Amino acid sequence: MIIKGRSISPGIAKGKVIKYDEAFSFLGGVDTSTGDLRVADGNIAGKVFVFPKGKGSTVGSFVMYDLMVHGTAPVAVINRSAETIVTTGAVISSIPMVDMIDTDILRDGDIVSVNGTDGSISIETARYIRTVSSAIMVKGRVLVLHRPDTARSFPGAHSLVSGKIEPGESAEDAAAREIMEETRIPVDKADRVLEPFYVREKDIVWEVTVFLYILDSAEPVLNEENVAFEWLTPEQLKADPKAVTGVPGALDRLLNIQ
Amino acid sequence: MDLTREEESILIGEKGAGAQKAMELVVALGKVYGAENLVDITSAHLSGASYKTIGDGGLKYLEDMVAGGAKVSVLSTLNPVGMDRDRWKEMHITPEFAEKQLRIIDLYGRMGIKTTCSCTPYTGDNVPKFGDHIAWAESSALSFANSYIGARTNREGGPGALAAAILGKTANYGLHLDENRKPTVVIDAEIDGSFFSHSLLGQAVGMAIGGRVPYYRGIKPTLEDAKTMAGAMAASGSVALFHVEGTTPEASKFDVSGLETIHIGKEEIQAAYDKLNTTDDIQLIALGCPHLTVKEVKDIAAFLKGKKKVNKDVEIWFCTSTSVRDQCPDEVRILEQFGLVLADTCMVVSPIEGTFQRTGTNSAKAGNYLPTLCSQKTMCRDISALMEVVL
Repeated sequence: MIIKGRSISPGIAKGKVIKYDEAFSFLGGVDTSTGDLRVADGNIAGKVFVFPKGKGSTVGSFVMYDLMVHGTAPVAVINRSAETIVTTGAVISSIPMVDMIDTDILRDGDIVSVNGTDGSISIETARYIRTVSSAIMVKGRVLVLHRPDTARSFPGAHSLVSGKIEPGESAEDAAAREIMEETRIPVDKADRVLEPFYVREKDIVWEVTVFLYILDSAEPVLNEENVAFEWLTPEQLKADPKAVTGVPGALDRLLNIQ
Repeated sequence: MDLTREEESILIGEKGAGAQKAMELVVALGKVYGAENLVDITSAHLSGASYKTIGDGGLKYLEDMVAGGAKVSVLSTLNPVGMDRDRWKEMHITPEFAEKQLRIIDLYGRMGIKTTCSCTPYTGDNVPKFGDHIAWAESSALSFANSYIGARTNREGGPGALAAAILGKTANYGLHLDENRKPTVVIDAEIDGSFFSHSLLGQAVGMAIGGRVPYYRGIKPTLEDAKTMAGAMAASGSVALFHVEGTTPEASKFDVSGLETIHIGKEEIQAAYDKLNTTDDIQLIALGCPHLTVKEVKDIAAFLKGKKKVNKDVEIWFCTSTSVRDQCPDEVRILEQFGLVLADTCMVVSPIEGTFQRTGTNSAKAGNYLPTLCSQKTMCRDISALMEVVL
């Protein structure tokens, strides 16, 4: 499975993920002779080093070069958003680097291929399931479905109208089919669509493509996949603790597309 | 990013591995900042010159660059290094440090960079013209070039500026573009007009506005005043461009009506002063951050002429460039009766923490960096007040 990010430093590498969840400074953050982290447990030598973004002194770029010279550098770097220090260090040290990746979808120990040339990564140890999720809006409120507590994925959670894409099926066809199956609401063409986002659940990465349908009225008739529905404002959905991770944010982006 | 055919061919390696690496870096940094294309530059000024700051990783990087045949294609100068290349023993520098530092200077020289090792290249070695696109590192120098000269540069890092120097191009974003050079805040300044008050003004403004573009009213800075303000604002904030009504070349272009106005007067200057003064008892007086100009050397010599250094326990460093030192031999002789007139270096990038713990300076920029980069307590005063300690 290929997840698209952005190319920062070219080259291709594969390795085991070591993750650090805060902004990271190479200066002071790592022992260059061993690759041992000083700010957390673990060693980055030969690993795919995943952290949200760089920080600290510009000397950090040369620390990365020093790691490369000592053979203790990471084989690749993945960031949520690249800044200049790590970007500079990765390029001068020929370490492949990709950014604009949601680092929450990666786990310590994942085997990941990083393609710094085309700006993509692939998680080899995760299963990948393509899904659609549709926001049906009527008069400023969105249809939210309650999943049963016995559901295999996201039990008890509150979600949009969601389901897997069948082999050979387009995402938009899957969206219309799921809406019909789960709510009996007929829809035509989607009003808006987002680039897919990803949600990690154990060893599964869910690819979610979100559609927006704006209707004048709708009368949901549920099938056995859901136990209840409600119409919420985007703010209410944001405040709902049972909302599936990423869904309120995706709805926000969907409604704010220019 | 929109690259020309020639830029693309460099990126895929058709002009050699060194140029390819440089292009990869310029393009990657351009992406980080959302640049749409590259722009030709007329000069570069590089930081990352002191062995103290770049370490063995930086040294090896430069070795590899030179081994790969890297050469700059535009006029390029180098920032101060960790020691005077001839007088390092008098600065308490170890032979191990000196050997590596001299090696670094040599490596930059082999790439075609003028190893003048000064943070004020705009006074002679590298003088951009109004409107020139340049790729400068060294926060005080680049802010001076943007503001007082009207050249155009972002805050480049060492390797990024070197890559730009090799290609003669840098990513076109930020302060290269008209829309980002507009002032965003008006500073209504009320100071006594001395050199030192300009340094404290820069300190107070950097503390107040971070990285915004200030438009000053109420001051008429000389080159020296602008130099110390630029250094202070870049250290206490991250200001890379400022305008001064009636003084800097772009100021008259802008309509500042409606902008937020911040008054900087006695109270703010006192707060800046208090922040920079953490000791009354010093072991070293270090002047020349940024490097002393000819005028400053002459002024200091005039002040010291006929006086006698009584307190021999306090060392004095006058930091400047080789060209300034060579231009005023008579004044240098006077200064040498009080301390060392050093070229190539300054108290911030030299490993002074091996010898000193408490340093006096007339520079707000140094007052910011001495505690963090050199573990010093600081006394920040004007020159006559500093000299009272030894006279």
